[in-house]
Amino acid sequence: MTMVTQQASSNYYNLGILDSITDDSIEDILDSWTGFCNTTESLLKDKGDLSVGSEFISHVHILCENRLSSLVQDHFFKALEETFEKNGRSKFWHHFDDFRDVSISELNESHKDWVQQVLCKALEDICLEKQYQEKCLLILVHALQSYKEGISKGKYNSDAERVALFSRYRLMVSSVLMTTLPRHFPEILRFYFKERLEELSDMISGNSDDNDEFQAKDNMDIDERTKLSPEVSEMDIGETYNGRKISENNKLVKNIGKVVRDLRSLGFMSMAEDAYASAIFLLLKTKVNDLAGDDYRTSVLWSIKEWIWAVPLQFLYALLAYLGDSVSYDSPSSGLKSPLASHPTSYYPGIDIPSEGLVRWQLRLEYFAYETLQDLRIAKLFEIIVDYPDSSPAIDDLKKCLQYSGQHSKLVDSFISSLRYRLLTAGASTNDILHQYVSTIKALRIIDPTGVFLEAVGEPIRDYLKGRKDTMKCIVTMLTDGPGGNPNGPGNTGDSLLEELNRDEENQEDDVCDDDFNSDDRHAWMNAERWEPDPVEADPLKGSRNRRKFDILGMIVGVIGSKEQLVNEYRVMLAEKLLNKSDYDIDSEIRTLELLKIHFGESSMQKCEIMLNDLINSKRINTNIKASISDVSQKGSDLGETGVSLDLLDATIISSNFWPPVQDESINIPETVDQLLSDYAKRFYEIKTPRKLLWKKNLGTVKLELQFGDRAAQFTVTPVHAAIIMNFQDQTRWISKDLAAAIGVPVDVLNRRINFWISKGIIAESVGAESDNHMFDLVDAMVDSSRNGVNNASCEDLAADEEGETSVASLEEQLLQEMTVYEKYIMGMLTNFGSMSLDRIHNTLKMFCSADPVYDKSLQQLQSFLSGLLSEEKLELRDGMYYLKREYSYLSLRSYHCPHLKFNKVVQSTYLIGNIDETSGYGNDSFVLTHYLCLMP
Amino acid sequence: MEVRNSVGTPPPTSSKQVKTSPTPVDTNSVIQRLQKELMSLMMSGGDLGVSAFPESENIFSWVGTIEGGRGTPYEGLSYKLSLRFPLDYPFKPPQVKFETMCFHPNVDQYGNICLDILQDKWSSAYDCRTVLLSIQSLLGEPNTDSPLNSYAASLWSNQEDYKKMVQKQVVDGDPFES
Repeated sequence: MTMVTQQASSNYYNLGILDSITDDSIEDILDSWTGFCNTTESLLKDKGDLSVGSEFISHVHILCENRLSSLVQDHFFKALEETFEKNGRSKFWHHFDDFRDVSISELNESHKDWVQQVLCKALEDICLEKQYQEKCLLILVHALQSYKEGISKGKYNSDAERVALFSRYRLMVSSVLMTTLPRHFPEILRFYFKERLEELSDMISGNSDDNDEFQAKDNMDIDERTKLSPEVSEMDIGETYNGRKISENNKLVKNIGKVVRDLRSLGFMSMAEDAYASAIFLLLKTKVNDLAGDDYRTSVLWSIKEWIWAVPLQFLYALLAYLGDSVSYDSPSSGLKSPLASHPTSYYPGIDIPSEGLVRWQLRLEYFAYETLQDLRIAKLFEIIVDYPDSSPAIDDLKKCLQYSGQHSKLVDSFISSLRYRLLTAGASTNDILHQYVSTIKALRIIDPTGVFLEAVGEPIRDYLKGRKDTMKCIVTMLTDGPGGNPNGPGNTGDSLLEELNRDEENQEDDVCDDDFNSDDRHAWMNAERWEPDPVEADPLKGSRNRRKFDILGMIVGVIGSKEQLVNEYRVMLAEKLLNKSDYDIDSEIRTLELLKIHFGESSMQKCEIMLNDLINSKRINTNIKASISDVSQKGSDLGETGVSLDLLDATIISSNFWPPVQDESINIPETVDQLLSDYAKRFYEIKTPRKLLWKKNLGTVKLELQFGDRAAQFTVTPVHAAIIMNFQDQTRWISKDLAAAIGVPVDVLNRRINFWISKGIIAESVGAESDNHMFDLVDAMVDSSRNGVNNASCEDLAADEEGETSVASLEEQLLQEMTVYEKYIMGMLTNFGSMSLDRIHNTLKMFCSADPVYDKSLQQLQSFLSGLLSEEKLELRDGMYYLKREYSYLSLRSYHCPHLKFNKVVQSTYLIGNIDETSGYGNDSFVLTHYLCLMP
Repeated sequence: MEVRNSVGTPPPTSSKQVKTSPTPVDTNSVIQRLQKELMSLMMSGGDLGVSAFPESENIFSWVGTIEGGRGTPYEGLSYKLSLRFPLDYPFKPPQVKFETMCFHPNVDQYGNICLDILQDKWSSAYDCRTVLLSIQSLLGEPNTDSPLNSYAASLWSNQEDYKKMVQKQVVDGDPFES
């Protein structure tokens, strides 16, 4: 009955047909239906019996004649599905049950073969089952076809129906499998592919190990190759890897190909692809990590690309070839051709015609490789920049990767955070920070020629450096201390900055050309053609790229704020250097100055130039004076009496107006020397009237020899040291007070200076009768001979260095001197106002110090000066307000500040007065109190 | 200070008056003179225990501080004053008042000072520094013959009690900080 209803329902739209059905035909239909069902069952179920095929076909024919073909198909598919459920699906998944409890992370080498065996076995089984079912389906198709051919006399186009039926079958199979997919299956697939690919990769590298010569050549060529034009190197690669072509008949590839094909046929197409893609990516990632590692001295990008061509692409090529290259995603999108698809065939070594699928794979893999390498390099960018000149290959790699991926902002963010964390801390020395800054500028200049990212990265460094006091000094040292500087440590920074000076010189010549490019149309055209828009990240407020030049010096000066400050600091250092020179050799200074002049302009370096000129003139005048003296002495001068001749004296004559303030300390130098100096001055006056020499007796160097009985020691010391030791010539014991008076320096200065001789073992110190008066004795004959040996070695040390004494007032000292004028103002203000904020002090100074020393300091300078006063305990700082460090002035101020509060205060103060009353028994308080109360409004 | 500026007559008004005055050149010279006085006061005043400074951007209105002289009942105390310089300074004396309570025969309850050089004996040779120094010495040597505070004048003879009174008044002025 059911069948009748079915029949009826399937043909209900043509009820007329039902009338034509006779009882006989119903009988026939029922018979053949039963036969059809039975044969279907025997075909599909159990072992399967193809022998019933002819019977099956005839039943189908009869049913089709009665227009029940769709019913036949439905039933057949239902039977197929049931069978597949039973024979295929449950058995298939059963194979993998053992893996259910093993997570992918636990899968290891030992599982390798097991997984492979199980997977292959399972796939083989299910594919056999499926093949059989397809065979059965083919019989049905044949039956339907032969029937239709009979009707339409051979003109029937059979393909459409066959394709429809098979796709329906495939859909059925995959939906059955997908709906019952166990969770761990994709992981198993991934693991399988990973293992297979590793094996393959090992095999390929094994091949190359046989090819030792090739390998060696590769390594050698890496650098060279990166420099070559891409075409040439690609040809090279093609040759290199020709010998290692993986044929599609390779056993391993065949194996994998089979698995992939089986999986595809079961409808696991995307899953299979995902699995081997992720395996390839995993392998690629490991490879990139292996290759890149922590070595920044070689470029790895090319070897990664080589590897991509050598391993994954070869594999994919072989796989696609094995699978017949009929990848589904190939066809629909062929209109969207990748630009790389048209590349010459040599691009794919050993692959004759790259399919589009392969090109896509290549692009995907390369992008992934770029991204991986980029992430790796960005994470280590700090280290890379630390090693900068050596690590430039890594920088080049990173640049290429970023060009590809465009994730510059990632770089900026990560680099800034690592800067903050690792460099801009109190522990880092200013020199290191500057060194890193310069390296950063150089490195980022390569990565991003527009300078947009450098701006972002440089900002925190600049801001931080501005907060450091010794920044300027370090910068100037870096500028001036050329190759002669400290050979160990970051001494090469100085070199690089000097190099920058040189480089700038050349650049500026170029810039001149750039600036008037209107005169050169061709040049202008080239410029225009090279124009590229700023990167998206560019801050439009910061000006266009035209204004952004990679002028390292300029950026360094930017840290300081103004070039005037830099020039001033340089002047101080130059003065210090020149004053400490005992010869007149200033070649290197002249060179540096010339370079600085090019960069900062003649006018700003004018004073420095005069200083150098002073030294040159000094040399000349010095010789002149000595010449004149030798004339005099020939005439019978009595210079011989003193035992010291002017020949021993070299003077540096400076035009003090152009020099930074020179330290002035009064000192009594030994008479003979003093005589010599005035003699010298006299001669100078004779030669250069009306000019007169004013000696700075505390500055300079003295070379002296001390003789102790049989032996002598030589020293190069400052005049003060010399004066001290000279006094011991006549008197071997001194009390510090007397000695200080004799030399004309304060006692504390003497005690500091005499340490030099004590440390040399020449003078012994003992505490005298009064505790603050020390006794100094000349150590006779320098008894301690072992110590002498050491001393002799270090005798040539310039004693001035060890005490950190300088001949020139440093910029801070100059500032301090200028600020002391304002100190009185500040004290005056605070005396009257009690407390003031930094801003208010600054503004008040600006307002009322307009007279003689015009107040021209910056807020920062004022602040640092005030913090000096704070540490001297002259001021104190509370809640951002400065107070005088005198309690009562602060007290009286409060009342001044809020006069209208006085009323309250008085009322409250009764308690206090009462207190005092009790202790003192003093009367008349009430009067005072009422007096005040009346007074207040 | 802030309170004073917002509540009292705002300084800009007075500076406007300065500008509209018929002799602007003179005003400039007054300003210059005041700046010079400020400078000399700053360079020397601190050691003498007197000090003053322009109150705000208006250089005609100063705040002064005087420390009590040694050996006087006022030793160890400091007093605030206000100085108002007239536009025709130094031909007219500045108006000087105590801003802190000062128990003194020649200072009244409003802080007004009775000092000859601030009135009829004024000479343009005096300056801010001499005025402050005069007031400082007045503290130690009051003129009890013409007192503004007769109680103080009567107490002057009893130095010990007088001193206690002075100290107490300072405590009055600053009850919070004791």
